Amino acid sequence: MSYLDNKEPPRRDDRLQASITYGGSICSLAGPGKGCCASGQDRSFTQGSICLLLPGLAMLNSIPDSVVLLHGAIGCGSCSHSQNANIRSGGNTRWGRTKDALWLSTALNESEVVNGGEPKLEAAIRKADRRYRPATIIVVAGCVPGIIGDDIDGVAARLQPEVSAKILPVHCEGFKTKIWATAYDAVYHSLGRNLLENPEYQSRIIPDELEELKEKHRLSRTVNLMNVSSMGRVDELELTRLLNALGLEANVFPVFTKPEEMYKATQAALSISTCPTHDDYFLKHLQETYGVPYILKHMPIGIKNTGDWLREVAAFFHLEEQADQLIRQEEADLQAALAEFKPWFSGKKVFISAGEIRAYANGYLLTELGFEIAGIRAFHHDEFAEGEYQKLASLYPSDFPVNIANAQPFEEANLLKKLQPDLFLGHWGGNATASKLGIATHVIYNTGLSYIGYKGVYELAKRLYRQLKNPILNRNLREHLKLPYNPKWYERDPFSYIKSQGGQNNV
Amino acid sequence: MSEFIERPRYFCALGGALETLSALPDVVPILHAAPGCAGNITWTQNGGSGLQVGGYCAALAVPSSNVQEREVVFGGLERLREEIRSTVELIEGRLYFVITGCVTEVIGDDVKAVVSEFQKEGVPIIHAETGGFKGNSYYGYDLVLQSLFRNYLERDVLKVKKRVNVWGVVPFMDVFWRGNLEGVRTLLEKLGLEVNSFFSGADTLDDIRKAGGAELNIVLSDVYGVEAAEVFQEVHGTPYIQLPLPVGPSATDQFLQQVSEALSLNKSATDQMIAAEHQQYYHYFEPLIEGYNDLDLQRYAIIIGDVNYAVALTRFLADDLGWLPEFVVFTDQLSEEQQQKLTDARFDLKSGLKPKVVFETDTSEIIRHLKQNWPEFKSQKYYNAFSPAFVVGSSLDRDLAQSIGASHLSISFPVANRVVIDRGYTGYRGGLRLIEDLLSSIIVGR
Repeated sequence: MSYLDNKEPPRRDDRLQASITYGGSICSLAGPGKGCCASGQDRSFTQGSICLLLPGLAMLNSIPDSVVLLHGAIGCGSCSHSQNANIRSGGNTRWGRTKDALWLSTALNESEVVNGGEPKLEAAIRKADRRYRPATIIVVAGCVPGIIGDDIDGVAARLQPEVSAKILPVHCEGFKTKIWATAYDAVYHSLGRNLLENPEYQSRIIPDELEELKEKHRLSRTVNLMNVSSMGRVDELELTRLLNALGLEANVFPVFTKPEEMYKATQAALSISTCPTHDDYFLKHLQETYGVPYILKHMPIGIKNTGDWLREVAAFFHLEEQADQLIRQEEADLQAALAEFKPWFSGKKVFISAGEIRAYANGYLLTELGFEIAGIRAFHHDEFAEGEYQKLASLYPSDFPVNIANAQPFEEANLLKKLQPDLFLGHWGGNATASKLGIATHVIYNTGLSYIGYKGVYELAKRLYRQLKNPILNRNLREHLKLPYNPKWYERDPFSYIKSQGGQNNV
Repeated sequence: MSEFIERPRYFCALGGALETLSALPDVVPILHAAPGCAGNITWTQNGGSGLQVGGYCAALAVPSSNVQEREVVFGGLERLREEIRSTVELIEGRLYFVITGCVTEVIGDDVKAVVSEFQKEGVPIIHAETGGFKGNSYYGYDLVLQSLFRNYLERDVLKVKKRVNVWGVVPFMDVFWRGNLEGVRTLLEKLGLEVNSFFSGADTLDDIRKAGGAELNIVLSDVYGVEAAEVFQEVHGTPYIQLPLPVGPSATDQFLQQVSEALSLNKSATDQMIAAEHQQYYHYFEPLIEGYNDLDLQRYAIIIGDVNYAVALTRFLADDLGWLPEFVVFTDQLSEEQQQKLTDARFDLKSGLKPKVVFETDTSEIIRHLKQNWPEFKSQKYYNAFSPAFVVGSSLDRDLAQSIGASHLSISFPVANRVVIDRGYTGYRGGLRLIEDLLSSIIVGR
């Protein structure tokens, strides 16, 4: 039985034994024993984090002609106010049309929490269908329905015959998983169950054989380029450019994909992930159910990583030689362009904090630029990172710290004080700690900026050069602002609040 | 009760509570909530609060118990105990403040009991129950203040003449909170009052603790913080007056007169101050007269905002700037009684204008109200169009402005397209700021 036969996908805590708690080093992670990352580890102090609802909505809000109906208390999903900027610019860069995201909330109140929220959800679906006439109504469950036992799948099934929009239930109950990457599975799960059918109107009554042959040829050269909102349009275009150079066509999926065009993902010759931790759940489904093979290796961030990523794709189509030629040319152009920046980077220490694969891929990239890694933090650990640990460890004769944490800036502050890097790259919403410590900073994820492929290397280098040329703002901040931690904290081991499974803190 | 709210311009009680606490001096919030609550609140601030995110100990640095399925099944109190103990050890603050989310309230965690254990150990800690389903972020502000007034303020403090507390401006929900509070403080200080406004740079936790000594509480809102004012009166015996956010000369005059009256201040001194402020306001305005006329900068206006701004901006545009605010849209969730009260009390305008007042939470419905209340264009040769027009609202109202060819300025939450640090619109000078911002957005392409 496939996972997609169930109402909800399994949580990654179980499916992949993913973990958010570890303090150690790259050598111990890459080494033979790999005695780390027991998924049962916890912290006795934790700071706020995000849950799967946020990355889930980043994807769902982007789907055109749809409304996202949050079922929960009124706050759940208000992160859309921030994500709306990406929806506006994403629409503009793709279709020249700036449009706000459209999300709704059932805004459950106290009495609905006691008596159940299903009647309100039913009424909301009916009204949304009537008022907005959307192609899909995406019903997203937050924590509250998960606890009070509202059955959003039951409601969807009950109401489907009444409404013209396709109803997509998506489970994003934040308390159910520590691994917010479960969001990708939750969204893919619902898309996979509901939107992959080839619409009837596609079939012709009188076949046009020539057209069919052309289409068959085109599809044999079409690849699904998976994007769960970790890339902006500028990065999609860079990868599309490289794929086009090999004679391949890219079908970007699923962000900003029209519901009626989602079935095209089932017809491609190959699916390519740009980040192994995003897509395994869905790519396996596409292969098992529709026979579309996939590549789930490498993140095309950095010079070697991009080359490796391209070579994997090319090998599938027996285009190795063409790929080698392309890569040679691209690398030569890029290296020449990087020459003016490299002296700025040489020997400078950099600390990186980001999502699992992104953090390590950027570690590789920054090493290629001449930086030396002082430390890395990744939001979680699972099996997909293991190859990345080895890649990085092989680059470095000496060890450096690695911290697995779902943000937890207190550990970061401690590490940064000890390591004193020259530069910090942190996720969206994750650069304040380093800024207040006076370290030059740069955001490692922003869908408006270029990070991916060869262009991404150049653009990132250019931005880092800018930051390093005048890092005075953060030094000023250090003089005048303080972090909330007790000064004694910095004398302690950064991982003091990590409890091993027995419940004791590691000191 | 409506079936849903479209793109709510507020979030949950927990979110409002966290924003409120992160704006209080030396206070460390502790969330007893699911792991994503803090992040969701942080992202919302990023998108709605003029790029102001977090503070000393907020955003993703805020201590949070991050309850999981295990706690849902077995209860979250042990995790909370552990979290509080670690927080006190690790985070420097003078008051720890536990707030709860939906999950921990639905499972029935007795947070009060845990908090009192720590109080007995001498930890300065209080709490408020702020589960998201209890209300929106404006109400979360109210709940935090209620707890602060009941549980933190010293009791039986002797009342001090001419000492007042001010609240009703919700940090981060009013993106201009710092500037607005400072504007009001400055005005009141000019009246010779000693002011505690909780959230401004001039406020301290020591002053807040002694807030019970105020002679009068001034709530700058018809809705926000009103229940807290009742609690304050009950616990500390200080009466309160409710006044609209004073933006521009007309509202500020009235504000000063009413405060002055409530405190029995010397009337002629207040009048003198008002006269001097007017003189300066119009003296500064003077060089704009020609340009204002040359460019024909008077506008029809639609005002879309929360309770505070819908009232204050209408008043300013109608009675100070001489615009035509034909439509006022309140985007808050309000009871019929609250709606009636606002309509009756807040639209008696000096200019004699009678704007159409609408209560609508859903952004995409606003255009429908406009169409229903303005003569339709039927290709007539002469048509009195709703033009030239200005939409004073939030960043969600840009679509509306574009569709009717109006200029636009984001003031009410969400403000995604402006950077705000300490700008404020209260008082006389605030009125001038507002003129600058409104007119600048009309002539931006000049």
